[in-house]
Amino acid sequence: MTKHIKKVSGLSRREVLVGSAAGAGLVIGYSVLPNAVDSASKAIAAGNWDHQQFLSMDADGKATVHVTKCEIGQHVGTALAQAVAEELEIDWNDVRVNYPESHAKWGLHITGGSWSVNWTFDRNSRIGASARIALIEAGSKMMKAMPANCYAKNSRVYTADGSKSVSYKEILSSNTIDRTFSEEEMKSIKLKSFGEYSIVGQSKQPLDLPAKLDGSAKYGIDVFVPNMVYAIPIQNPTRYGAIPKAVDESAAKKIDGYVGAYVNKEGFTRVNTGYVVAIGETYWAAEKAAKALKIDWDLGENKNISSDDIRDESIRLQKDPNAGFLWVLEGDTDKGMKNAANKHTAVYETAIAYHGCLEPMNGVAYEKDGIMHIHSGHQSFTFAVGNTAAALGVEQDKIVCHQYYAGGGFGRRTEPDLHVLVAQTCKHVGRPVKLIFSREQDMMFDFHRSPTYQVIEGGEEFGRMTAMNHDVVAGWSTKRAAPGFMPDSVDKKGKVDQFSTNGSDHWYDIPNHKVRSINNELSDRALPVGFLRAVAPSWTFWAVESYLDEMAKKAGRDPLAFRLDHLTAAGKNAGTPPNSVGGAHRLRNALLVAAGRAGYGVKPLGKNEGMGMACVSSQERGSPTWTACVAEVKVDPNSGEVEVKKITVSMDVGTAVNPDGVRKQIEGSALYGISLALYENLTMKNGSIEQGNFDTWTPMRLNQVPEIETVLIQNGHYPAGTGEPATTVVAPAIANAIDNAVGARVRSLPITPEKIKSAMREA
Amino acid sequence: MNLSVNGSNQVVDAPGDTKLLWVIREHLRLTGTKFGCGLGLCGACTVHMNGEAVRSCQIELSDAEGTQITTIEGLGANGHHPVQKAWAEIEVPQCGYCQSGQMMNAAAFLNSNSAPSEKEIVDAQQGNICRCITYNRIKTAIKRASEIMQGA
Repeated sequence: MTKHIKKVSGLSRREVLVGSAAGAGLVIGYSVLPNAVDSASKAIAAGNWDHQQFLSMDADGKATVHVTKCEIGQHVGTALAQAVAEELEIDWNDVRVNYPESHAKWGLHITGGSWSVNWTFDRNSRIGASARIALIEAGSKMMKAMPANCYAKNSRVYTADGSKSVSYKEILSSNTIDRTFSEEEMKSIKLKSFGEYSIVGQSKQPLDLPAKLDGSAKYGIDVFVPNMVYAIPIQNPTRYGAIPKAVDESAAKKIDGYVGAYVNKEGFTRVNTGYVVAIGETYWAAEKAAKALKIDWDLGENKNISSDDIRDESIRLQKDPNAGFLWVLEGDTDKGMKNAANKHTAVYETAIAYHGCLEPMNGVAYEKDGIMHIHSGHQSFTFAVGNTAAALGVEQDKIVCHQYYAGGGFGRRTEPDLHVLVAQTCKHVGRPVKLIFSREQDMMFDFHRSPTYQVIEGGEEFGRMTAMNHDVVAGWSTKRAAPGFMPDSVDKKGKVDQFSTNGSDHWYDIPNHKVRSINNELSDRALPVGFLRAVAPSWTFWAVESYLDEMAKKAGRDPLAFRLDHLTAAGKNAGTPPNSVGGAHRLRNALLVAAGRAGYGVKPLGKNEGMGMACVSSQERGSPTWTACVAEVKVDPNSGEVEVKKITVSMDVGTAVNPDGVRKQIEGSALYGISLALYENLTMKNGSIEQGNFDTWTPMRLNQVPEIETVLIQNGHYPAGTGEPATTVVAPAIANAIDNAVGARVRSLPITPEKIKSAMREA
Repeated sequence: MNLSVNGSNQVVDAPGDTKLLWVIREHLRLTGTKFGCGLGLCGACTVHMNGEAVRSCQIELSDAEGTQITTIEGLGANGHHPVQKAWAEIEVPQCGYCQSGQMMNAAAFLNSNSAPSEKEIVDAQQGNICRCITYNRIKTAIKRASEIMQGA
C-alpha cells in the first residue's frame, strides 16, 4: 500500500509508530511524520496520528485489527488478523477485527482480484511484529531483563529461561510506550517462516461466523436512522441511455405515505443516464409508488440493441485486422503456423452474466454537519467516495462511507452507482434515505460480465504447439470504471483493458504467441460491463483450456500429457519471487495432483461418462494462483442433459493462512463457476435485459450441486489469493469432460442441453 | 394489527396488505430475516408461521394476524437450536445473507422429519438459494442437526 501514500509537502518520513499514553493501550500503524516530530507519543499528543492505523490494543491487552476490506463471504478479516496475531504472539482469543470508515489515508480501498491476503500478508505480519518488539522492550524493562533475552508467547513476555513473565495487559496498563520504526527497520524485521507458524495455517473459526447464525450480523440493508424515508428506483426501460422526460405523480399522490419522486435527467457519467426513484415513508408506500408513477421515457440510442447485435459486432471486429491492440507478442505466429503439421481454429463464446448478490444493492444515506454519510457493505470506498463526490460536486472529504457485512459481492459491490444514487436521493428529499433495489432492478442494472467472442488459431508439430493466435473481443470494464489503470499494449500503439484480457497470457511454452485484445464499443454503450468474480480469466481460460484439449486430440496426444509437455517453466514461464516463483512447474504440479486425485485415466467410467481437465493461473500473471480441475460428467445423449458427478480441484496456495477458509473459497468459487457454465444465461432485447428474477435467471440450486473434492497444496511460498481462481477452471474442465463422454464439443457458455445435442449431431 | 412474533405480542401500525417480511424487518427491526427476490423464489425471507416454513415476502400482514411467527432471532434460545449448532460446527455461512432463511427452512423441515435421507434433504432445501453456493455444507449441516436432535 506504500505506493498509494502521496508525499505531502512538509511531511517527509513514512514510519511505523507504536505508541501509547500511560496505561491507555497501544496504537500501531504507518504514519507520515513531520520532520519536527520524532516520537510516537509526540505524534499522538500533537494530533498527528492520522495514518493507516492497522492495529490497536487496549489496556487489558486485547488487540483490534483494522481491516480495510469488505466481508463479502470470504472471512477476510479473520485471515488478515491471523497474520497480525502470528507475529504479535497474542492469544487468538484476544483478537478482534474492525472495519474502519472511508478515509483518504487508507489509499486504494478495494476488495477484489483475490488480492486481500496476497497484498497484506507481509505488511500485517510486520505490523504485528513491530508491536511485539515494543511490548517485549517494555515488558523486559518491567522484569529488569534485556529485551534481547526475552521473548513473547501467548499474550505474555517471558525472560529467556521462562522464570519470569509479564502479561500484555500488565504491560499496557502500566506503561507509556513510545517506539518508532523506520521503513528500513520494518523491512529488516525477521519474520517467521513456513513451518514456524502457530496461528497462521490454523483453520480458525471465522470471526464473523457467530453473528451470521442468529440474525445479528448487520448488512447495509439492516441500517436504520431516525426520520428515514424509503426509496425504490424504478427500472429504466433500457439498460443504458434512457432518460425520463416527464413523470406523472397523480396516482402516486393518493398513496398513504407517498413522499415524492426523485427525477434525475442527467444521470452520472459511467453510471447511468437518468433515474426515477419512488420515495415513501415506509417500504410499502415506496413500493406502491414505484408502481403508480407513470413515466414518459426517452428510450435513448440503445433501444433496439440485442445480444445478437453485440455478437455480430464482435464477429465483425474480429475479422478486421486493424481492430484491437496487442497484449502478447512472442516470436512470429505466421512463421509458426506455416510449418505446423496440425492446424486448428476455433471460436469460443460466453454469454452476458449477472453477479446475483443475494442482498440486492442498497444503502442508507444522511447528511450531518456538511458530510454525506453512506452506510452499505462495499468493496471499494475509493470508487464510491470518488464518484459520489463528483456527482454531488463536493470535495471527497465530504463523503464518508461506513462498512457493513455484504450479502455477496462478486465484484458488483466495487461499483459506485448505489452510493451516487442514494446520496443524490438524500440531497433531493432532504431527509435520510434507505434505498433498495428490487431484484429486477438489481438484475438489469448490474454491471454485467461482458459477452465475449474469442478465436484461437494454432499449429502443432511433434506434440508441441508451434503457434497460437488468440483474439479476445469483449466489452471493456476498466475503460469505463478506471481508465487510468489501463496499461499500454505491447507494441505501445494503444491501451489494453487488462481486466478484459488477462489469462490469455498463460504459462504454456508456445514459441510464437500473439494475443489481440479488441474492445466491443457497442457492448460498452448498451451494456456497461463490470468486474465479475475472476473477471477475464473466466473467458480467456475457457477458450485456452478448451483449445488445448482440442489440439491435443488433433495431434493424437492425451490432454494431460500434452499440457505437461508445455508446462516446462522455460524462459518467461520460470516465474519470479515472491508471487509466481516456480512458475509453470507449480501449475504442472497442481495439474498432476488433480489428475491423480481424481483417478484420471484409471477410474472406471460408465457409458456416456467422461473426465476432463483444465488448469489455470488466475488471476493475473503477476499474482497467479496455480489451480487445476478434473470434472467427471455423465451426459444423457437423448436429452443432452449433463450431470456433473464430481469435481476435483487442486490449488497451490503457497501458504494457506486459514486452510478451511481457503477450502470454503475453493468450494464456493468452483460451484459459482459451474453455475455460470451450466445454469446462468442473460440475454438483451430492445436494449433491456430479458430476465428479471430467479424464475427466468436460474442459478445453481441445492439439487444440482456435484460432489467436490479440494486439495490444498502448500509449499511455503508466499500466500496466493483463493477467492476467484476456481471460478475459471471448471467450465473448460466440464466442456472437455463432455467431449470425452459423448464426443460433443461445446464452445459456448452456458453449456445447455440444446448445445450438447447440436454438438453431438456435428460430431 | 396484532402479531405474535417470537412469543411476544406486537401491535403493528401498517396497512393490511404490507408484506410480513417488511413488517418483521422495518417495523419490528428484526433484521435477521432478509429480502432477496420479493417473489418467494429464493427463500432468504423464510420464517415460521405456526411452525411451518413460509416465505414472508409473500404473506400479507392481515393473513399473519393471529398466527405464531418465529424468526431467526427466536429460533433457539441464545442461538442454540440444533440447526444453529450444526451450522456453527460445519461453518456453513460465507456471506451469510441467505443463511437465516436456510436455517429456518431446515429447522421446520427437521421438525417434520427428524431423520431425513439425503434425497429428502435435497428436496426440502432446494427452494433456498445460496449465491456463495455453500450447498454441500448445508446438506452436511442438516444431517448433523438431525443427529444433534436425536442426542448424538
